[in-house]
Amino acid sequence: MKTAIRERSGSTIVDVTGNIDMGTSPSFRKTLLESLKNTPRLVVNLREVLYVDSSGIASLVEVLKEARKAEKRLVLIGLNAPVHEVLQLTRLTRIFEIRETEEAALES
Amino acid sequence: MSYDKDGAAEILPPQAMSGPLKFQITMASDPRLLAVVRSTISELAAVWGLGDEGCRGVTRAVDEALSNIIRHAYKNRSDGEIELSCRTDADCLEFTFVDRGDPADRARICAQPLDDTSLCGRGTHLIRQIMDQVYYERVGEVNRLRLKKYLPGAKRKA
Repeated sequence: MKTAIRERSGSTIVDVTGNIDMGTSPSFRKTLLESLKNTPRLVVNLREVLYVDSSGIASLVEVLKEARKAEKRLVLIGLNAPVHEVLQLTRLTRIFEIRETEEAALES
Repeated sequence: MSYDKDGAAEILPPQAMSGPLKFQITMASDPRLLAVVRSTISELAAVWGLGDEGCRGVTRAVDEALSNIIRHAYKNRSDGEIELSCRTDADCLEFTFVDRGDPADRARICAQPLDDTSLCGRGTHLIRQIMDQVYYERVGEVNRLRLKKYLPGAKRKA
């Protein structure tokens, strides 16, 4: 799994590539939590994610909790079929703020 | 593999293949191997005849089960050993996981109700959503977990 961080329109965007599983989710979690500290809005681009397991989902939930505590926003974009599927199976599609595109995430 | 009269290999569609499939691996409890196993299981499920969604589901269930064994039975140690075997019948795909780690918490295997913000329990929940039957037993020092998936439309034994 790889992550790339960039800034745009006052938000931080984390582009994630590869697999988020038990081996890589600690790094994923750490990157998101660190990125959240310095931004009012964290956008996580999952378009190039091939697989995410329950530990990856747990990481997203943890970051969401931190965002809410700090009154910040976490937005997920680029949900492909495997990612969307696991969010549906774990009943989390309504919990996260999800947008189709980066533009939509930054405008909202 | 069979060949036609011109000597070209004939690729038979999965449902035309006869006989059960058997597959077994022994792996270290190392998370780096999860992606390797996912690829293998995904291919196996496709060979057996599952569609894309079914392959993804079965792969996910196996992956979550392995992650749980690594995390809970072996406490994230990578020097444990896990035996994963797969057996197919005409209507059923069955995975068996054997490890010699700590016993599982039966209450967790039964899957707790999901809480929006809970950080754990989702792996077990996913396994139970995807697979049709889940069995766990502890025999001596050995944990044995079996996951069964029936083909759509298959008559299930009582």
